[in-house]
Amino acid sequence: MIGPGNGVAFVTGAASGIGAAIADRLASRGWRVAGLDLNSCDTELALQADVADRAAVAAAIERATSELGPISLLVTAAGYYEMLPIGEIDDERWRRMLAVHLGGVANACWAVLPRMLAAGSGTVVTISSELALAGGDGDAHYVAAKGAIVGFTRSLGWELAPTGVRVNSVAPGPADTPLLVPDSPWRAPSYLETLPLGRLVTPDEVADTVLFLVEEGTYFAGQTISPNAGAVI
Amino acid sequence: MAAGDERTLEGRIALVSGAGQGLGRQIALRLAAEGARVAVNDRRVTPRVEEVVEATGGIAAIADVSDPEAVAKMVEQVEADLGPLDILVANHAYMSMAPFVEHDADDWWRNVEVNLSGTFFLIRAALPGMRRSGGGRIVIIASEFGVVGWANATAYACSKAGLISLTKTLGRELGPESISVNAIAPGIMDTPQLDVDAADAGVSPEEIRRRYAAESPIGRIGDPREMAALAAFLASERASAFVGQVLQPNGGTTRALA
Repeated sequence: MIGPGNGVAFVTGAASGIGAAIADRLASRGWRVAGLDLNSCDTELALQADVADRAAVAAAIERATSELGPISLLVTAAGYYEMLPIGEIDDERWRRMLAVHLGGVANACWAVLPRMLAAGSGTVVTISSELALAGGDGDAHYVAAKGAIVGFTRSLGWELAPTGVRVNSVAPGPADTPLLVPDSPWRAPSYLETLPLGRLVTPDEVADTVLFLVEEGTYFAGQTISPNAGAVI
Repeated sequence: MAAGDERTLEGRIALVSGAGQGLGRQIALRLAAEGARVAVNDRRVTPRVEEVVEATGGIAAIADVSDPEAVAKMVEQVEADLGPLDILVANHAYMSMAPFVEHDADDWWRNVEVNLSGTFFLIRAALPGMRRSGGGRIVIIASEFGVVGWANATAYACSKAGLISLTKTLGRELGPESISVNAIAPGIMDTPQLDVDAADAGVSPEEIRRRYAAESPIGRIGDPREMAALAAFLASERASAFVGQVLQPNGGTTRALA
C-alpha cells in the first residue's frame, strides 16, 4: 500500500473540474502535485501545455521531475466534451478528440513510464467516462475517444501488472463540471430523474474514488470503476 | 481513511456476515478501525468469533443466514443493542464443488440458500431500519466465479452470479432512497475457501496458492485486507456516487467484465 502523501503526482487537466478536484484531494493528502493544463492550474507546480503535443507533455514531465522529484502517480483527466451528430464530426474535430483524450493519456504514459518501470512501482489512473461503457447519443467521437482510454487502460494494466506499476481507470458518471454547459441535456431534470441518485456526480466524488485506487486499490489491474450515480449499471 | 488512519465511519452501526474468519474478519476489523460499531455474524459462537468481537469492540450476532427467522431475530437484537444498521456487508459464503450431474442436490441448493437467499434475508431484515434512518450502505461480496463461471462450481457460481444481479437490481431500486448497493467480485484471495479449490484440484493448499499466484498477472493472490479496504470504501460516503456497481479487484486474472 502507498501511504498518504509520500510522492509526486502529475495530474493533467488540473485547472478545472474533475482534474482540479483530484489535484486538490491529492495535495490535501500530502502529495506534491504538478498540474498540466491549457489553462493555469492552482497546484504546487503549474504547467501549461496541450496534452496532444507529445514533446510538450514530455518536457512538462521532465520539468515536474526535476523540480518536485520522480513521479510516482499519473492521473490523466484532461479532456473536453462536445455533442455533434455524426455527419457534423469533420476530420479536424474527430482527430482533435482522439488526440486530446487517447493521445493525451498515451503521451503522458510514454513520458512517465520509463522511470516508474525502472523503479518497479507507480500508479496510473486514467479518467474515462460512463459514456465509454454504455455509449451516448450525439457524441460518437467523444465516446470513441473515451472508449479508447478504457481499452488502453485494460491492456496497459495487464501488460504492466507484473512490473509493479498499476494502471486503472475511473469512469465518472455525468459530472457537475464546466464540461457540461448550462443547457446540456445531461443537466436537464428529465434526464436526472432517470438516475437512481437523481443528480449529477460531483468532482469530489470522483476525486475520492481516484484516491482510493491510488492508496488502497492494490489488487486492481486494468480495471475501470464507475462512480456514476447509477447512469450505467 | 486510507489504511484506517481516518475514522470515516465513526459511530456507524455495521453488520458483517460470516465475520468469524477470512475476509469477513478483515472487513469487521477494518470497519471497526474506521470507527464503526460492528456486529460480528457467524453461525455459532466460536473462539474465533469471540476474538473478532473482542478485537473490534463489537458484539456477536449469531444466526445461520439461510434461516430467515433467525436472521430477522438477529437483526432485531443488533438494533436493540447498537441501533439501526447503517452498513450491511453480506460476506458469508458456502462453497462446495462437484461435477454438475454428480453434485448432491441438497448440497447444490445449500450454496444457493446460504449465498443468495442468505443475502436476501439479511437485506430484507436490515432495510426497515435503514429506511427509518434515511439511508444505508450495503456491500455484497460476490466472486469472479459469478462473472466467468468455474468448472465444477455450478452451484457456487450461480449463487454469486445471482448476487451480482441482485446488486444491480437493488442498486436501481434502492438508490432513490439513499441506500446504496454495490458488490465486490474478488479474484483469488488468500482465505480458507482456497482449501475447497485445493481439494477439488487434488493438491495441497500450499500448491493451489502457488499455482494461482503464478497464473496471476500481478504475480500474487489477493490479500483479504485489500478487499476489506475496498469494502470499507464502499461502506463510506467516499463512495457516494457508486450505485449498483460490481468492482473486480483480481490482479488481472479475469478479463470478463461483470
